Amino acid sequence: MTLSVALGPDTQEGTRTGTEASTDSLTAPDIPWNLVIWNDPVNLMSYVSYIFQSYFGYSEAKANKLMMEVHKKGRSIVSHGSKEQVERHAVAMHGFGLWATVERATGGNGGTSRNSGKSGGSGQGKGKRG
Amino acid sequence: MAKAFKYGLKGITGFLEPAERELLRSLIDDVISMLQPAEHASTDPLAALIGLDMDVQEPTDRAVRRLLPNVMKDDDGASLEFRQLTERSLRETKIGALRAAALDLDKDDVVLTAEGARHWSMALNDVRLVLAERLDIRDEADAEHVHRMQDWSQAEDVESYLALVYNFTTWLQESLVQAMLQSLDSRT
Repeated sequence: MTLSVALGPDTQEGTRTGTEASTDSLTAPDIPWNLVIWNDPVNLMSYVSYIFQSYFGYSEAKANKLMMEVHKKGRSIVSHGSKEQVERHAVAMHGFGLWATVERATGGNGGTSRNSGKSGGSGQGKGKRG
Repeated sequence: MAKAFKYGLKGITGFLEPAERELLRSLIDDVISMLQPAEHASTDPLAALIGLDMDVQEPTDRAVRRLLPNVMKDDDGASLEFRQLTERSLRETKIGALRAAALDLDKDDVVLTAEGARHWSMALNDVRLVLAERLDIRDEADAEHVHRMQDWSQAEDVESYLALVYNFTTWLQESLVQAMLQSLDSRT
């Protein structure tokens, strides 16, 4: 990703709520597929964060955290769910111009992310596709 | 000179000079022409109607491949199968956003609804993805190198001209997205 004119977003954590983690532990065994966003040098950090907020309905803090993970680690799992769900999200991400792939969740995801697997939600946020 | 997009009472507003609008229009037209789906002799009209394209192949052009990436990293077969089901409508989504943005270029003052802003951000992003492929931007160092090119009087060859155009569209998209983020904030 690229940081152009504006300053980098505040990536401080700490606004995550406990409910995300508990929801996650309830649904985790039923989650077979991940939606992965890959880093590229073109997409603006602000744009990626905007998409995570508007499409997935994630908080600003969570969107920025995932965005920084993409930027620094090269990829991040931003959502998970059934194959059909993550494929639908992947098409939406391609519509926005993000580089997204789907992959089967294997449990250990190669250490690519500490907690992105907890990003929860199947994208039924306030955002919508169009 | 163009003015940065702002979020205010009228929505998201910006201003572009006629030459800048002309430039954006031609960039958008280029990307639209790259995204027009090829019509095969064997295309089944009913299949096309519901968005299927059984003859589709992974694009050979790098820029088009970046606009329409494989959905699986290590499974070309499954990715191709997915393309057959989705690529046509993805092309249409992108062309729709690009056309909507082009329509807004008819006036100096650009006034965007939330929907319009989203179309613009998608259109500018696709334009930048294509320019970045033409400029061979492969990593952050390449991006930084291009970003340093800011002076129009230095534009002496196609590459430096493209770099300046890329930087202009980057600046424009950044200002638009900042305004869109503000509009998100004000909604909550």
